[in-house]
Amino acid sequence: MLEIKPIFNALRRSKVGAILLLIQIAITTAIVSNAAFIIQDRLTFLQQETGYPEEDIFTLSVMTFGKDRDLSQQFEQDEQMIRNLPGVVDAALTNAVPLSGSGSASGMRLTPSSEQTDRNIRSAYLQGDDHLINTLGLQIDEGRGFRADEVIVSQDRSQISNVAVVTRTFLEEAFPDGDGLGNTIYWGGAPMKIVGVINQAKGPWLHDSRPDNLVFMPTVRAANYQHIVVRTEPGQRASVMRSIEDQMLTAYDKRVINYVVGLDEHKRQYNASDTLMMRMLMVLIVVLIAVTALGIFGLTLFNISKRTRQIGTRRALGARKSDIVRYFMVENSMICIGGLVIGCAGAVFMGQQLLTHFSLPALNPWYVVMTALAVFAITLCAVILPARRAANISPSVATRSI
Amino acid sequence: MLTMNNISKVYQTEMVQTHALRDFNLSVNEGEFIAVTGPSGSGKTTFLNIAGMLEPFSAGQYTLDDTDIGKLSDNQRADLRNQKIGFIFQGFNLIPDLNLYENVEVPLRYRGIKAAERKRRIDACLEQVGLGSRAKHLPQQLSGGQQQRVAIARALAGEPRFLLADEPTGNLDSLMARQVMELLEQINRDGATIIMVTHDPELARRAPRNIQIVDGQVADMTLYQGVPTQQVAGA
Amino acid sequence: MFVHYLDLGWRSLRRTPLVSLLMVLAIATGIGITMTSLSVYHMMSMDPIPHKSTQLYHPQLQTMDDGEESWSEDNLPYQLTYQDAKNLAESEFPVNKAAMMRSGFTLHLPDSEVRPTIENTRITHRPFFALFDVPFVYGGPWTQEQAEAGNAVVVISSTINERLFGGADSVGKQVYLDETLFTIVGVTAPWQTHMKFYDVNNGAFNNHENIYIPFELIEPMSIDTWGNTNGWKFENIRSFKDKLASEVFWFQFWVELPDQQAKQRYEEFLMAYMAEQRELGRYNREQLQFGLRDVNSWLDYRNVVSEDNQILVALSFMFLAVCLANIIGLLLAKFMRRAPEVGVRRALGASKRQVFLQHIVEVSLLGLAGGIIGIGITHMGLWGVRISQEYYTPLATMDLSMLLAAPVIAISACILAGLYPAWLVCRTTPATHLKTQ
Repeated sequence: MLEIKPIFNALRRSKVGAILLLIQIAITTAIVSNAAFIIQDRLTFLQQETGYPEEDIFTLSVMTFGKDRDLSQQFEQDEQMIRNLPGVVDAALTNAVPLSGSGSASGMRLTPSSEQTDRNIRSAYLQGDDHLINTLGLQIDEGRGFRADEVIVSQDRSQISNVAVVTRTFLEEAFPDGDGLGNTIYWGGAPMKIVGVINQAKGPWLHDSRPDNLVFMPTVRAANYQHIVVRTEPGQRASVMRSIEDQMLTAYDKRVINYVVGLDEHKRQYNASDTLMMRMLMVLIVVLIAVTALGIFGLTLFNISKRTRQIGTRRALGARKSDIVRYFMVENSMICIGGLVIGCAGAVFMGQQLLTHFSLPALNPWYVVMTALAVFAITLCAVILPARRAANISPSVATRSI
Repeated sequence: MLTMNNISKVYQTEMVQTHALRDFNLSVNEGEFIAVTGPSGSGKTTFLNIAGMLEPFSAGQYTLDDTDIGKLSDNQRADLRNQKIGFIFQGFNLIPDLNLYENVEVPLRYRGIKAAERKRRIDACLEQVGLGSRAKHLPQQLSGGQQQRVAIARALAGEPRFLLADEPTGNLDSLMARQVMELLEQINRDGATIIMVTHDPELARRAPRNIQIVDGQVADMTLYQGVPTQQVAGA
Repeated sequence: MFVHYLDLGWRSLRRTPLVSLLMVLAIATGIGITMTSLSVYHMMSMDPIPHKSTQLYHPQLQTMDDGEESWSEDNLPYQLTYQDAKNLAESEFPVNKAAMMRSGFTLHLPDSEVRPTIENTRITHRPFFALFDVPFVYGGPWTQEQAEAGNAVVVISSTINERLFGGADSVGKQVYLDETLFTIVGVTAPWQTHMKFYDVNNGAFNNHENIYIPFELIEPMSIDTWGNTNGWKFENIRSFKDKLASEVFWFQFWVELPDQQAKQRYEEFLMAYMAEQRELGRYNREQLQFGLRDVNSWLDYRNVVSEDNQILVALSFMFLAVCLANIIGLLLAKFMRRAPEVGVRRALGASKRQVFLQHIVEVSLLGLAGGIIGIGITHMGLWGVRISQEYYTPLATMDLSMLLAAPVIAISACILAGLYPAWLVCRTTPATHLKTQ
């Protein structure tokens, strides 16, 4: 006894209000399902596993202006000094900081020739000594790490290391047959034998087309502007970070230490625009739903005041209070379902538009379904209060003279 | 079938208490046609509201078919209204968004009657009031008299034993009023008990029994034997 | 009459306070959300140098071998090689042109106990300041003679001048950049552009560099870039000299071409230059190709407006549409309930036009209130943007045009929403509502 047909007929006869509500619900569904999908996409991105114990690692940058010391030697001493600081697990020079958005990448080839026809595998690379992998908190999963005697310390680019440790993702892309370990890759013309594999370590750019491709090279090329990465015991990072500038300047003062930053902070800064987008979309969704719900609430209230006499008449004719509540729920549900059908189609269309115009992944239809259910529930909630009020209209208004 | 003992109704506003009915006593038998008259503000509508269970009363006892109305819940009263009582309002109170058929259907739906049975009754009732061919029309497409006939059809569709009419001809011209009145008399002859509130003495005289309410109390009860109006007019 | 309408509108709004509040809130949040994303969009896409943006051009040269791929949409490299940057800068025509790149130095005063700081530095040619109308507080750019002689001269920003010299005229004083003593020739005044449009490689919305030194010092001082370097083929670069002679891209370049004629002349010059270089063994390709974009097409080409922001702007306008549908519904309900009153007015001689105007004035009042509250919400939104993303700080503000746009959009949106309900109401025939209920 849901009265669907007469309610539908009644709606057809007072179209505009229903259509407006329908439009609202349709647009809301389209926006919310796409926004929710983008939020989920960003959330997955922001929470992805990077392979590093980010809370225990920090980096610092050293800008040396003094010309009276040999950079390589100075940094060798610095590394020793930092490694001996209380709370420090390990420290190493590095050419780039993972997750920071700044680094170097190159195309690694499988043959020595540099013919452009050859396949090359895009990969970021990190250069440092035999401590670098341990400093970053990474484990060799297969093969071995670098030996101290493999590390090339040089200020120019004439010598290139002949061994490399790579990530699993890179290995599988370069050698899909599984024979990668022990095989050789070429950087420019220089051969490097893969001696070890790390299961997971993200490169400098989480937004890269190959964020998981990373090649470690045992090379130390001390630079005027040099990054150092330090890993501390859990909980010790803050105190080490505080004292590091003084320690470094005490060791040698013709330089500037800056950008002493945790690895998690590097990631946060790199991801700031994604975080922002996520937050803005969340606000948008919440406010949008609130506005739609309030709109339905207000419109239902108005409808009820317009139909006071009608409701009284229905009550006089024997409608129970629950019949009146049900009447408004059914009426609203019908508009809502109409809006949801259009909204779902709109959401899919909008998803396609976003897909073609922007670099977003394809909308997962589940989000549309979930959004539709949520919007339905919320509209029902928005109606129930005014409907209850309607049910309390006294049947005696039917006999009231105007 | 209907008994009211010492019914009173008090409207409480911020400033004043208004006694709409005071120690109101009435007994109505099955098959009667009663006209209720009285000056405006005397409590006619309050009486009708209480009789139709549209409003609770403040004190006293009201029994309808051996049921003590004062003890019923809101839902029970709604069901009782639906089953036993048919309403005819002064303003017709047709639902403007529904066509005639759907308007008549409203009380039947609340009773949970099957669609086929509903159709049979609605068609019969619309036929009875002479609007069988206009079932798909909307109320605003009809004249006032036609609208009131639809309202009567709606009241009849539930086959009530008790018909409450509130100024059924108040918004109608005399020709239409006469048609409506004749319809009501026909319904009464078919067995329904009718209580009709009216301020039109001529109309009231057509009813076999008249009750005058003054100041919330029954002031005068006149029983006319036989129906003919001429006879009453001459008395 | 207008004042009378205002009075009527105000009374009508007060008669249904809850619904009025709902409508004002709906329009205010709609405006707030829309203006937040629109303000950021506006700042991102605003012409950074309006009086000159059509005269400043960034040339691009296709130096890559046939078949090599760049990242750009038209396959032209974004930046220039050192050789090309140097050669283009040495041409006779046009007068104002500058190659540039970002680097950095430690900065400190001689005989000072103050710890040195690291400063981003722009390495560029003398006309840089004239090209972009960089204002000066003291002194000015270095002279061409100083640049050619390889003098260690520097222009510093007023920020640095404030810090090191307390804002006094520091022209002629000396500072250390790393271990080299530089003589200050000019101090720039705060430069009011919200965007580093001349170098968008490392974030178009970063601050301007605080230090400028001559391009001519790159070779003698071996100054490497802190910006992007991109290569397209393997080159065995072992030393800085190798890098200078290589085909890697690391320079930005801007020229000022005052009119179409000058632009055409420059295009011919670029073709001639490339042909000449091909003779020398570079530009190993069938077809010579170059790009020459003015400021705004350059920013567009480099996708300075973030995708996310474009999505947000689109979504927020849809949001505004929802708010509008909302308001139309409420207005419709409200106005139609007032139809009897309108019937009386019409019977008393009000014309349709007057009834229509009365209702439009009423919705404009709603729009005004919504717009003003919306500005408040926008400021909250922008504050949220600023704390979420420091980098957007210069962008997350409402300039005057956006401040004015808020109520204008709000009022026009409300009028748009009110048109149909007002039209319905003014169509009411006087009789309908007088006769019966």
